[in-house]
Amino acid sequence: MPTLPLWAVWVIKAAVIYGALLGVAALMSLAERKVSAWIQYRIGPNRVGPFGLLQPLADGVKFIFKEELIPDGANPFLFRIAPALAALPAMLAIAVIPFAGEVELFGQRTNLSVTDLPISSLYVLAVGGLGIYGIILGGWSSNSKYSLLGGLRAAAQMVSYELSLILSILAVVALSGSLDLRVIADAQQAPDVLWNVARQPLAFLLFVVCMFAETNRHPFDFAESEPELVGGFHTEYSSMRFALFFLGEYCAMTVMSCLATVLFLGGGAIPFWPEAPWWAALACFLAKMSAFLFLYLWVRWTLPRFRFDQLMNLGWKVMLPLALLNLFATAALIALEVY
Amino acid sequence: MVIVKRRELSLAEKLYLPEIGRALSLSLRAMFRKRVTRQYPEEPLPTNEVTRGQPRLVVKDDGNIACVSCGMCEVACPAYAITIDGGETDRAIEREPVRFDIDMLRCILCGFCEEACPKDAIFMSNELELADFSRQALVYDIEKLKRPRSALQKRIDYVYRLNDRWRKPSSTR
Amino acid sequence: MAETLFYALALAAVGFSVGVISARSPMISVLSLLGAFVCLALVYLLAGFQFLAAAQVLVYAGAIMVLFLFVVMLLNLTDLAKVAEHPTRALGLPRVALAGASAGVLGVLALLASANVPSGSADPAMVAQGFDGLEPIAVALFSRYLLPFEAASLLLLATMVGVIVLAKRQRGAAASGPAKEAAAVAAASAAAEPQLEGAGAR
Repeated sequence: MPTLPLWAVWVIKAAVIYGALLGVAALMSLAERKVSAWIQYRIGPNRVGPFGLLQPLADGVKFIFKEELIPDGANPFLFRIAPALAALPAMLAIAVIPFAGEVELFGQRTNLSVTDLPISSLYVLAVGGLGIYGIILGGWSSNSKYSLLGGLRAAAQMVSYELSLILSILAVVALSGSLDLRVIADAQQAPDVLWNVARQPLAFLLFVVCMFAETNRHPFDFAESEPELVGGFHTEYSSMRFALFFLGEYCAMTVMSCLATVLFLGGGAIPFWPEAPWWAALACFLAKMSAFLFLYLWVRWTLPRFRFDQLMNLGWKVMLPLALLNLFATAALIALEVY
Repeated sequence: MVIVKRRELSLAEKLYLPEIGRALSLSLRAMFRKRVTRQYPEEPLPTNEVTRGQPRLVVKDDGNIACVSCGMCEVACPAYAITIDGGETDRAIEREPVRFDIDMLRCILCGFCEEACPKDAIFMSNELELADFSRQALVYDIEKLKRPRSALQKRIDYVYRLNDRWRKPSSTR
Repeated sequence: MAETLFYALALAAVGFSVGVISARSPMISVLSLLGAFVCLALVYLLAGFQFLAAAQVLVYAGAIMVLFLFVVMLLNLTDLAKVAEHPTRALGLPRVALAGASAGVLGVLALLASANVPSGSADPAMVAQGFDGLEPIAVALFSRYLLPFEAASLLLLATMVGVIVLAKRQRGAAASGPAKEAAAVAAASAAAEPQLEGAGAR
């Protein structure tokens, strides 16, 4: 097979990875219901397709055929654009996740990621962080008190936890000396190097907590908060725009899980098998990612929601000082050449 | 007014993490417990002779129903679900219903018809499902109400047993 | 290609900036500002400053504008509507004079800065690692430009403290009025409650 032009390789890679992302997001909507059912001694959706695997398709069809409502007094432009703003950033952020190293597939040599940037970790944070605008604007433009409160909470929560998230990632970046996710992942592949989860346990813990807060998931889902705010920012949404918010949430969860895998679990690294072929590494990467995704669901159906003052206390009085301390200690240890 | 004293949290509880770990292990174990879901249409509810389902007419071994269209059940029915038109027959019982309709949408499954019947013609079956596309289709006529005696035998025995208890004089008990 | 993109982005940035000051709704203002920031980040990207672009989006668009939105959502929009009804009050002579003076000062500063651009005397480290390396930026920020950097952060801190003091004073003044009354009512009702319950028991 002749070597394809570069743009064709890019287009194919982008199509495959985005298709996979949407597939994972769709499966997550099923997994959410399945896991909730299992934890509550139930079976969960099992009617559509084998084990209910086609349930997301049925849901999608249903969403498309639902009536679209725009509340009276809402800002129509912002109301329409907000779900797209919520879903798009997470989908863009997946572009730099290094799923596997260089592979040779159908005669093409290429890296298994849409693209590689020297600042990819910053890119994920910067672009992924924009997803909050969709939630805030959706809440504000709905002309509803519940939506507005949901949007307000999302904004406050985002500002509080973004800092700890970045600081916890910075400790890992300082350790690897690069902002490139691929370099960070490759640095943990060597057989005599421990994964970052062992070298930076505190950063890992902070990252995992912030990851829940950043994606507005339990126990930090204050923007939605269905017992108090009906549905929070998406109270007034219906039809496919409502589904887009969920797509965005699941995509953001997937991206965060990928990020956690790359930063702390060494990407596709398999212990005691340093020269694993690329497909084994990819499978390992996906397994680690799925573990994080399962953690999301597991925690959601286990823990109750925090109170808002507890959220703020935790964010500002515990997480932030710990993250700063951790970064400082890491820098000191690097300067003393302990690492 | 009730004053609830809040327990002072221990250090481990204030740290959140050990308690979160405990909760997570609890829910993980719950995932492998026995399911309680009943897959309804495939796994119907268990029924027995005490189940008071929809009333049905018993078909005797000679192929006829025992009803003589006396109208006792029609009178007993609190929901006015039963409609009977009587007619004559050449059989020894002389009378039989020309029309015996039960509107299943009105029936409240109370079992009064079963109690009222002097001829043991109507019994409560264990059939509980009721669904159709029109109301008219749920007004059951004789043909739809007929059930062979064998299908209702358990219920018939149960009703006899129940009634025997009252028939016995109290001094012999 | 790059030049066309640059002009398009520059035009968009200017357009968004005009939107910031001309929009009626503060929400649209903030969103226009966000658009302007994103356009600027794209211009940085076009010039090859990846780190700067990412930092621009991360800090301004990701954090600071979220705070702005937060504040705008808490604003009492009826007050703003009153301002819109009386444009003369909003655009009184003192305000115009103040705006003109600040614009003048900014212009003079910009002129001074443009006259002071070091030509061809870039840091050798920067030339070696590209203008966008983390190390040259860090070294420049924490050695040569440490003083302005710290001064800026001190200024921000002072602003923050000032805002908190102002806000607290307003709330303290308000507490003497309706809030105190409400507290008194609450205390009275709390005192009355046991009696009522006692009456019910009897």
